Amino acid sequence: MGGNDLMETGLFDLKEAVKRLPVAIYFAWSDTRARYKRSVLGPFWLVLSTMVGVVGLGVIWSVLLKVDRQEFIPSLTIGLIVWGMISGCIAESAAVFYRQAAQIKDINLPSFFLSLQLVLRQLINFGHNILVFIVVMAIYPEHVSLADFLAIPGLILVIFNLLWLAQILGYIGARFRDLEPLIVAFLPILFFLSPVVYRASQLGPLQSIMAFNPLTYWIGLVRDPLLGVIPTPGTYILAVATTVVGWAAALWLTGSRRHRLPYWI
Amino acid sequence: MARLQLDNVSVEYPIYNASSMSLRNQLVAISTGGRMAQEAGNIVTVRALDDVTLSLKDGDRIGLLGHNGSGKTTLLRTMAGIFKPTKGRVVVEGHVSAIFGLGAGIDPELSGHENIIRMSMLLGSTLAEAKARIPEIEDFTELGNFLALPVRTFSAGMQTRLTFAVATAAHPEILLVDEVIGAGDAEFQAKARKRMNEFIEKSSVFVLASHSRELIRTFCNKVCTLEHGRLISEGSTP
Repeated sequence: MGGNDLMETGLFDLKEAVKRLPVAIYFAWSDTRARYKRSVLGPFWLVLSTMVGVVGLGVIWSVLLKVDRQEFIPSLTIGLIVWGMISGCIAESAAVFYRQAAQIKDINLPSFFLSLQLVLRQLINFGHNILVFIVVMAIYPEHVSLADFLAIPGLILVIFNLLWLAQILGYIGARFRDLEPLIVAFLPILFFLSPVVYRASQLGPLQSIMAFNPLTYWIGLVRDPLLGVIPTPGTYILAVATTVVGWAAALWLTGSRRHRLPYWI
Repeated sequence: MARLQLDNVSVEYPIYNASSMSLRNQLVAISTGGRMAQEAGNIVTVRALDDVTLSLKDGDRIGLLGHNGSGKTTLLRTMAGIFKPTKGRVVVEGHVSAIFGLGAGIDPELSGHENIIRMSMLLGSTLAEAKARIPEIEDFTELGNFLALPVRTFSAGMQTRLTFAVATAAHPEILLVDEVIGAGDAEFQAKARKRMNEFIEKSSVFVLASHSRELIRTFCNKVCTLEHGRLISEGSTP
């Protein structure tokens, strides 16, 4: 098969998945409910754990890094929430296909359907966690501005990036079972290499290293507008670039390996 | 008008063992090349279907017979489009529905009702269609109020009733079934057969893989026998 055919097969898989979007949304909701079925707080445990993280890390790091709390805590809060969504997707993506082996082997489902479900589940968690940020904003209202609305297109761009990422890692993870433990081992280091606790600008001369970490742009796209800072055009250009390149790779991989997937899992 | 045509179809399975599944071996293969690469890339392939030609049209009810591992399930999965043939081609006209293991999409923590919706939606119905089916399924399974409880509290027989009822609630044109009846009490068995009959009648093409000649005699008008992935005989039911 030529490159165009592969892209077409990949697009077909994607189209079939988009047709099943309502099903994916229903499954994402019902999986979330199933997970917390018998707990009193339910998904609000997530909110609580984010809150504990923000208060604990916020107090300690604001002292350690000698930064102003009023600046630092809103930035840390939204940083942690966006990081939670991105890292949640990355952590689960390697197993996204082989954990659902029955659905791939017994029903002729598009593979994008499963990565779509994963991203939607993480988005539901994000929706809960954003409550913490609203509370923080009520305490430190200085940053509220019209620029906040720019976080919405930013979030959409991040979601598109997470989709291709989950799809690619899902395929590699289905074929190579080492990927999942590898990701688990490297996620903590990725956390410190991403500007969650600090801003890239605080790194001084090391700042250029951050330019190679796409998570810098993705986090910035959602966080900066919420802190009253309009992201630079460069951030948007780079985020769009990762979207285009990532999607091309994801569609190609899907096109060339979709028919192998049932044998891998 | 439904049609299912297989022309000289072969399917080869790659078997990935621990060493070919591991990233380390692949990396070693890249860095050392040559002999090691050959060892690391040593993936055993199994020919599960060998040059199968089969033509199914409206009104065909095919029973697939064969030993364990003779290729029955592979043939069904190939017909359903889940496995792509390595050689030959498959032509499908009509909506295909396959019932392999029952209960894909089931979540034991959720209620029977919610699981009816989940399983139906995975099998291709919309939320509204899935909801509309609940009363009929409630009726058939006789599970009544139990459907409001989490499925994890169901007995194995109750779960079979539920999954079987959901799987047979829609009416596809081409229906592929891999031996599913067999659990449940005697009374349910009789009901399941009756429902199965209606289910099959509404489909245009039906394929059943089973070890039971008796089942195949009941539901099918043709029998195909597979051996080592080859179609060795084709004829009407004895």
